[in-house]
Amino acid sequence: MKVKILQWHSVASWTWDAQDETCGICRMAFDGCCPDCKFPGDDCPLIWGSCNHAFHLHCILKWGRKLHLVHVVLSRVQAPGSLATVGKSRDLPFYMAPNFR
Amino acid sequence: MQLVDDADGALDSWARFCDLSDELFGGAGDLSAGPRLAPVVADLCARGLAELLRDQFIRSLEGIFRSNAVKKFWQQFHPYCNSSAVERIKFCVQENWPEDILSKALEDICLEKNYQEKCVLALVHSLQSYEDRSPHRKSKALDCSSSLMPRYQLMVSSVLLTTLPLSFPEILNVYFKKKLEELNIMMAGLDGSDPFDNHDLFERNSTSAWHSEMDIDGQEPGISESRNLVKNIGKVVRDLRYLGFTSMTEDSYSSAIIWLLKSKVHELAGDDYRIPVLGCVKKWIQAVPLKFLHALLTYLGDSLDNESGSSGLKSPLASRPSSFPGIGVPSEALVRWHMRLEYFAYETLQDLRIGKLFEIIVDYPESSPAIEDLKQCLEYTGQHSKLVDSFISSLRYRLLTAGASTNDILHQYVSTIKALRTIDPTGVFLEAVGEPIRDYLRGRKDTIKCIVTMLTDGSGGNANGTGNAGDNLLEELNRDAENQENVDYDDHTNIDEKQAWLNAESWEPDPVEADPLKGSRNRRKIDILGLIVSIIGSKDQLVNEYRVMLAEKLLNKSDFDIDSDIRTLELLKIHFGESSMQKCEIMLNDLIDSKRTNSNIKTSLSKTSQTVGTVQEETELSHEVLDATIISSNFWPPIQTEDLTVPASVDQLLSDYAKRFHQIKTPRKLLWKKNLGTVKLELQFEDRSMQFTVAPVHAAIIMQFQEKPSWTSKTLATAIGVPVDSLNRKISFWTSKGVLTESVGPDADDPTFTVVDSTSDFNKNSTVNQLSERFQITEEEGESSIASVEEQLRKEMTVYEMFCIAEPSYDKSLQQLQSFLSGLVSDEKLEMRDGSYLLRK
Repeated sequence: MKVKILQWHSVASWTWDAQDETCGICRMAFDGCCPDCKFPGDDCPLIWGSCNHAFHLHCILKWGRKLHLVHVVLSRVQAPGSLATVGKSRDLPFYMAPNFR
Repeated sequence: MQLVDDADGALDSWARFCDLSDELFGGAGDLSAGPRLAPVVADLCARGLAELLRDQFIRSLEGIFRSNAVKKFWQQFHPYCNSSAVERIKFCVQENWPEDILSKALEDICLEKNYQEKCVLALVHSLQSYEDRSPHRKSKALDCSSSLMPRYQLMVSSVLLTTLPLSFPEILNVYFKKKLEELNIMMAGLDGSDPFDNHDLFERNSTSAWHSEMDIDGQEPGISESRNLVKNIGKVVRDLRYLGFTSMTEDSYSSAIIWLLKSKVHELAGDDYRIPVLGCVKKWIQAVPLKFLHALLTYLGDSLDNESGSSGLKSPLASRPSSFPGIGVPSEALVRWHMRLEYFAYETLQDLRIGKLFEIIVDYPESSPAIEDLKQCLEYTGQHSKLVDSFISSLRYRLLTAGASTNDILHQYVSTIKALRTIDPTGVFLEAVGEPIRDYLRGRKDTIKCIVTMLTDGSGGNANGTGNAGDNLLEELNRDAENQENVDYDDHTNIDEKQAWLNAESWEPDPVEADPLKGSRNRRKIDILGLIVSIIGSKDQLVNEYRVMLAEKLLNKSDFDIDSDIRTLELLKIHFGESSMQKCEIMLNDLIDSKRTNSNIKTSLSKTSQTVGTVQEETELSHEVLDATIISSNFWPPIQTEDLTVPASVDQLLSDYAKRFHQIKTPRKLLWKKNLGTVKLELQFEDRSMQFTVAPVHAAIIMQFQEKPSWTSKTLATAIGVPVDSLNRKISFWTSKGVLTESVGPDADDPTFTVVDSTSDFNKNSTVNQLSERFQITEEEGESSIASVEEQLRKEMTVYEMFCIAEPSYDKSLQQLQSFLSGLVSDEKLEMRDGSYLLRK
């Protein structure tokens, strides 16, 4: 007897693989989305600071705007895989708190 | 001496009076004794014996009347009155009974009475002539002369009534029934032409000439026939009235009319709810009973009396604008009759419909004409509470029982809501009726599931599938809502002062049965979905159940076609708000994303594999066969994951796929849920091939048999990485399809499974002999990926049902029975020994 597979439709879940469970700003799950977003995934990317902490991109932008942090270190975002996630935001200036708790 | 003379004279006169009156009575039409009576009467009156004279006269008339006419009259009816109930029916069946007897007897007795009246008149004349001559005694004698006739009439009717046989009213009733029925049949035959059109004919003749022939003047025979019929009935009624049976007669013919009306309503209404009946009944009322009554009343001269007498004192009833075709301005009596008959028709139809309301609602919306009829009836009679009571009791008896499926109850509930909304837009009665259903449904475990299915499934609000396919209850509700909104919108835009005034004027109070605690109807807009949700308690539960069902449905999809689900979700969003449907939206969005990502990955993978070369294509699977649904697991209901080791070739595909995903969506990673999804595969045997759609675990099992045709369950379980008992359960799918056979080896707990490779082997084990067969497993057979208690219960239920229900003959094929039994074996409910199934203890 031979088995011929005609179609194998499998199921998978995705994860950001962000070591941590929740975003330090909004306390929402990384695999979910920030409070302002409707859909997780592509629509609500993560960002990794030089401290290696991950945040929702939208959360960190909002937080920065709110505190008018001009003296913080401008750091280039270092995303582990670069490209897809960070691609859109590469050229944006990011104001990151030096010792963000 | 004077006294003796006087006495002698008086005695003399008395004797002469007696002689004369005897002569008068026995004269057989000869009234010549009348004038001779006058002097004697005058003499007696002068002696103050007027009253005595009168009493004597009446008494002797009574004696004669009693012995001659009354006896003869009742004798005609003796055969009927003395017979038993059974024999009476025989009488009733006879064609001309009691018509002939009745009219004959009445004619005789009326003749007799007529003659006696003439005698009375003779005495009255004598008395009057005496009175004229002696004015001073006027008062007393006048008393005698004017009271003589009424006294006589009273005597006649009291004699008749005291000797009345008990069954005489019955005879009258039978007579009128028969006559009316005859008339009805006649009218039905005419249908359209109007026999009573020239009704003035009756008026012209009404005073005296009721014996005169009808002038037919070239009319249809049916018309004159029916007119003759009415005339005959009229004659009988007249005679009966003449004898003092006025009220009894009226009772009889009205009860006969009512009876006829009732049978007509029953005949028209019947058990067909798809045609409106009320209009026909009303038309019939005008066509038959009213015309009959009109003819009768005109014939009897009643309507004329009423018209002249009551013009100033019109009853409020008569002010109703009602003119009947061919009758002109109706008399008050006729208007009263009309209203009485209509009310009775409404009541009869209403009772009939209320009694069958359950069936009517089952047939809704086909039965909406019946509902409309009922609504109109209830508007007239106002007996809504009757409806509520009767409907609730039939619900309890027929619907809210263990035997009714939750789905049926829900469908009936929805139909009830729709139907009662027509009858009573305020929703008061719906509240009363709906409460028991809601209470009952709350006690059922699968209610939520059924509601969700009903809301979202294609067959929708119609259990029998007669509605448009793909049109679910939700869509229907949405249409309703749109319509209602449009109406509301109009209300608000056009509201100026005039409109506001009109609105205020058209305000109607809630029905008296309304519960004041439950708010007025402005706040109580009937919302089917709201009513359904109120069964469950909160919309969250409903939404949650929907999410679970949606998840299961999406995970079992082998393509990414979700258009209908998107539509359903949009509708649900309208009703439940966007925020509560957020998670479901993400789930659907995942599917859309998956489709895009899937094609993206597959094209890039096939490019690379082409560049790598086609060396391995023979053994390895093409990337084309793998599709993936990629979910945002945080937003999906908890998913049951089981370990499963898929064959290496598939595993390679999966990891390639995951790698590619990671490249495209950095830094996101894929986590496979290998036990989920569907696999389409083809089993190729030496001489045949079979296609299946199965769960991955089934595929993993059968693929193991490529390497080795025979496995023990323990080694196989290790190979595919599932627990042994779970494997045993899953593998029964293949044994039931006849692909594998089970044989008990040395170890009873560790059976060996062998692939059935050739047709000959296959035939030994199964009766399947088609070369190629296509099996499609349904969701029931496939293992559910979402844990659901109801699902489990439902499964058990079907197992029990297969044991219990013998009523529908067993229509499954032998393979199906085998698969079912082997399922039971693997569930450890049965065991198989020496080719026979035994119950496991």
